[in-house]
Amino acid sequence: MRTITTNCPGCCIACGLYLLEFSTPELPAGELKLSLAHRKLAPMNEGKLCKFGMHLPAFYAREPLPTLVDGQETTQDEAIREAKARLERLKPDEIAFVAIPSAVTNEELLSFVSGATACGSTNRCFGFEQFLNAIPEDARSALTNGLPFFEIEAASKIVLFLLDPYVHYPLLARRILKARQRGAQVIDIAFAHNRRGIANETVLIDPLDPGSIQKLRDTVANSLIISEVTPYTSLVVISLVLRLAAETASQLFLLKPFANSTGALLLDSSGAEQRRDLFEILDRIENGSIKGLYLLETDLSAVVFHAAAVKQTLSQLDVLIEQNAFRTPQSELAHVTLQSEPFYRKRGTILTIEGRLLELGGESTNGLRILEQLGSNRAFAEVHAEVKHALGLGTAEPTEFEIVAPRVEAVVNVAPLPHREPEKPEALGDEHYVLWYKTNPFFWAGIRDKGFVELSPTALQALGLFVGDALIVGDAAEKTGFKVAAVPEKLIVSEDPLVVHEHVPWRELRESGTVRKVIVKRA
Amino acid sequence: MEVIDSYGMMEPRYYLAWATDEAIRARGANGGFVTALLVSALETQFIDLALVVKKKSVYEGVPVLTNDPEQVKESAGSLHGVPWNLAKLLLECAPDKRVGVPTKPCDARGIIELAKRRQIALDNVFLIGLNCGGTVHPLRMRELAAELYGLDPDTVQKEEITAGKLILRYEGEGGATQEKGLKIDELEQEGRGRRDACKSCTTKLPVMADLACGNWGVPKGEQKTFVEVLTDKGAAILENALNKGAITVEDATEQSIAVRAKIERAMQALAARWKDELDVLTDNSPSERLAFYTEQLQRCIHCGACKAVCPVCACDEDAKCLDLHDEQDAYAISLYNLLRILHLMDSCIHCGQCEEVCPVDIPLTLIQRRFSERMQAHLDYEPGMDVTETPPYQETKLRWSADAKTSESEGA
Ligand SMILES: Cc1cc2nc3c(=O)[nH]c(=O)nc-3n(C[C@H](O)[C@H](O)[C@H](O)COP(=O)(O)OP(=O)(O)OC[C@H]3O[C@@H](n4cnc5c(N)ncnc54)[C@H](O)[C@@H]3O)c2cc1C
Ligand code: SF4
Ligand code: SF4
Ligand code: SF4
Ligand code: SF4
Repeated sequence: MRTITTNCPGCCIACGLYLLEFSTPELPAGELKLSLAHRKLAPMNEGKLCKFGMHLPAFYAREPLPTLVDGQETTQDEAIREAKARLERLKPDEIAFVAIPSAVTNEELLSFVSGATACGSTNRCFGFEQFLNAIPEDARSALTNGLPFFEIEAASKIVLFLLDPYVHYPLLARRILKARQRGAQVIDIAFAHNRRGIANETVLIDPLDPGSIQKLRDTVANSLIISEVTPYTSLVVISLVLRLAAETASQLFLLKPFANSTGALLLDSSGAEQRRDLFEILDRIENGSIKGLYLLETDLSAVVFHAAAVKQTLSQLDVLIEQNAFRTPQSELAHVTLQSEPFYRKRGTILTIEGRLLELGGESTNGLRILEQLGSNRAFAEVHAEVKHALGLGTAEPTEFEIVAPRVEAVVNVAPLPHREPEKPEALGDEHYVLWYKTNPFFWAGIRDKGFVELSPTALQALGLFVGDALIVGDAAEKTGFKVAAVPEKLIVSEDPLVVHEHVPWRELRESGTVRKVIVKRA
Repeated sequence: MEVIDSYGMMEPRYYLAWATDEAIRARGANGGFVTALLVSALETQFIDLALVVKKKSVYEGVPVLTNDPEQVKESAGSLHGVPWNLAKLLLECAPDKRVGVPTKPCDARGIIELAKRRQIALDNVFLIGLNCGGTVHPLRMRELAAELYGLDPDTVQKEEITAGKLILRYEGEGGATQEKGLKIDELEQEGRGRRDACKSCTTKLPVMADLACGNWGVPKGEQKTFVEVLTDKGAAILENALNKGAITVEDATEQSIAVRAKIERAMQALAARWKDELDVLTDNSPSERLAFYTEQLQRCIHCGACKAVCPVCACDEDAKCLDLHDEQDAYAISLYNLLRILHLMDSCIHCGQCEEVCPVDIPLTLIQRRFSERMQAHLDYEPGMDVTETPPYQETKLRWSADAKTSESEGA
C-alpha cells in the first residue's frame, strides 16, 4: 500500500487528502486500486472534502490518453518532435496555447509559457485573460490574490455576492458559518434564497438587471465581499462589483474554479499583447486566424461545456496538440497527443487561493519534461527555483502553513476601473425563464452531477408538471429533471452544465455569463 | 469467510513486557512491546501483514500496510494527534489477510462490528489493543503548541501524555531538546485538547481486542508496556514473540493492576461528565431539538464522507441511505441523513469520525449519539465489544424466508 499526500484539483481551495494505492485480490496483477483518506492536517480543509473531492478516485480512473501522432502510437520523443515541427509550420500569431490551471503545476505553467514563447505565440490563455486585460494595475491584487480563510473567520461583515458557498466552493461554507458564530453579519446578495441557510439577511436581485447592483452601496459598506470570477463571469458584473468594493471601502475576495488559478494569475508574466481570452481564441479558430492549438491538461468541452460546438470549432484546426493525463472529447480530433501523468503523480507546486504554496506529493515530472522540450530544456529544479523567485521567495521550501502570496490591499481609484453601462433590464416574455448556472467543481469538470434543475412552485404549475416529468430547457438536446425550490417565479437554477443554445458566436456566449434567457417546456 | 472468532476468550492475564531489542524499546511509546510483537510475527510468518501508523511529524501519521519488519520498526511510538480509525482501511486493503493491527478501542470496535457483518474475517486479524485516553485533532495540536505553549509548532519533535499532562518536546535554543507540559484538564476547560468524541468516550481499555497494551499501571520511570492478554489469539501472538526472544515479560504486580483499574475508572467518570457537558440539547424541548436537527442537517451537501469513514457501516454503494435518497426530494432533512441515523442506532460507537470529516461541520456524532445511546441501552447491546454478540435484529426471521424454504423443498 502506498499513501500519497495530494490535493484536490477541483477548485482554488485545493483541499489536502491522501490517496491510497493498493492491490486487491480481484484486480489483475500489477493493477492498483485507488482509494482516498482524509488528511486532517491540511490547513485549507482540515481533511474535509466536498462531494467532488470524495469522487476523486473515480475521477482518476478515467481512460489514459495514449501518445499518438495522427492516430498512430509512437514514442514520446517522436510525438514531441512532430508537435514542434507542425507548430513551426504556422505563423506565431496563428498558434494558441491554452492551459486551464486545474491540474497544472506552477512549474508546468512556467514551462508552458516558455514553450509558447519559443513558438512566438501571441495567444496564451489560462482562463482569466479578459479580466487581466481589462482591470487596471491598482485593482489587480483583488483579482489575482485571495485571502487566508482565518481572515474570513475573523471578518465582522461578510457580503456573499452571487455565491452560494455550499455549491460553488463547498469548503468555504464552514468558514463563513464560523465567522457568523463569532458574531459576523453575513448578507447574501443572490438571485434566490439559500435553502441551506448561511446569512443573517438576504437581498434578492434581478438577474436581468445587473444595474441594480449599483444601488447596493449601503448594504455593502465596509464589508468583505466574497464572490467568484470564472471564464464565464460577465465583465459587466465584475466591473460593477469592483466599483462597489472601491466605493464602499470594502475588501473584495474573488474565488476561482481551478486549483492553481492563483498560480496562473501570479506567475504568467506574459504581456497584454500575448494574452488572449479563451472565447476569443475559439472565435479566431472559427474565423481561421488561429490554425494551431496546444491544449495542456485541459478539456475544453468541459470548461466551455458546449461539447458539440467545441468539436465543430476545433475540427477547423490544422494542428491540434493535446497534452493530458486522460482522454477527452478533443482527443479524437487531435493530430498529436502526449500522455502526461495524473495530477496526483505530479511533482511540483500549486498556489492556493489563500496564498499557500503546496508541494504536491507525486514524483513524476514527465509533463514538465514534454513542455521543456518545446521550450528551454530546463530541469525541474531550475524551473522550481524560478517559481520561487517569481513569488519573491528565498531558497527555503515554504510549508503549507505559511501564506507566501499575501494580498497587498491598495486604495483603488474608481475612475480608471472598467465601466460598461449595463444594459437596461430586459423584459421577459411569458414563455421565457431566466436560467442561472450555479457553477461548481463538477460543472467545470464537465460532469452532470444532479440531473435536475430547480424551479419555483409557480413555474411548476405554469408548466403543468407532475412528479417524474422531465423538462426541456432552451434548445437542449437532453431532458432534465426538476426539483421545486424556494426560488423566484421565473428563475431556473442549474448546477449541471446544461447546453441550452445552439452554436452561437463564442464571444456572445461569454457575454451572457452564467445567466441565460430560455424557453422551458415540459418534455 | 469465518465470522466468529474460533480462538476463544480467556481469563485475562496481566504482564509488564518490553522489546528485547534496545533500539525498538527506545523508540516505542512505552516498552516497544507492540512493535517487537508485530516484527517477530512478520519475521516468523505468523502474520502476513501489519497495519501500522507511521510518523511523518508529531502532527501527522500515515497508515502503512506492510510485510516489511523495518517499516513496522519505524512506526513505533504513539501519535496522539493522529485520529485515524483503521477499521475501514483494513476492510478495504486486506479483508482476508492475516494481519496484525494495533488498535485503539474504537478501531477494534469498528473491526468487530464489520466482522459481525461478514466484512472482515476476524480469525485472521490480530487486534493488538492500545489503551486510549484520546486523540487531539492535529491542527488543534499545532494551535496548542503555538498559542498556549508559545512554541513554533514546527520545532516540536515529540509529544507525550504523562500523568494527565500533554508534554511537548522541542528543539530549543542551540539545538538542545527542551520540554513543556500543560495539564490536559486545564486545556480542556478552555475548549482545547482532545476531540469531543474522545472526551466523552468511556471505552478506555481495548477489552474487546486480543491484547490490551498501555502505560497505565507501569511503575513510574520504567520503560515497559502493561499488557493484558484477553484471548487465546492474543496469547498465541505473544507466545510467538516470546519464543523468538523478541520480548521480555514479567508478571504485573497486584499494585500495577490496581493502579491501572483505578485510572480507568477515573477516566470513565471524566468521560461521563464530558458527555453531559457536550450535549447541548439536554435542556431543550422536543420542538427545539427538532429545530436544531433540521437546522444542522439541512446544511448537508451529500458528499458521502460520513458514510465512507464510518467504521461500523458495512454497506457499500448498494445502501438504503444512498438508494432511497434523492436530491430531487425537497425534505428539510434528507432521507440519506434520516436513514443513516436510524440504521446506525444499534451500531454507532461514537468514534467521532463522521463529524470530523463533515465539510459543513454538522455535529453528526452528537446527533447520532442522542439516538443511538438510548436504543443501545434499550436493547442492552454495546456494539463492537464482543464478537459473539449478534447485532440486534440480525437473526430476525423474515416471513418470506420461511415461505421460500417451503416452496423450495416442495419444488425438490
Ligand atoms: C492515541 C493513543 C492514545 C493512548 N492513550 C493511552 C492512555 O491514555 N493510557 C495508556 O495506558 N495507554 C495509552 N495509549 C497506548 C500507549 O501509548 C502505547 O501505545 C502502548 O502502551 C503500547 O506501547 P508500546 O511501546 O508497546 O508500543 P509501540 O511499540 O510504540 O507501538 C505503538 C503502535 O501504535 C501505533 N500507533 C501510533 N499512533 C497511533 C494512532 N494514533 N492510532 C493508531 N495506532 C497508532 C503505531 O503504529 C505502533 O505500531 C495510547 C495510544 C494511542 C495511539
Ligand atoms: S472541489 Fe474544492 S472544495 Fe471540493 S474537495 Fe476539491 S478543493 Fe475542496
Ligand atoms: S473515541 Fe475513544 S478509543 Fe477512539 S480515539 Fe477517542 S478516546 Fe480513543
Ligand atoms: S456514525 Fe459517526 S460516530 Fe457513529 S460509528 Fe459512525 S463515524 Fe463513528
Ligand atoms: S459528511 Fe456532512 S455533508 Fe457530507 S454527507 Fe455526511 S452529513 Fe452530509
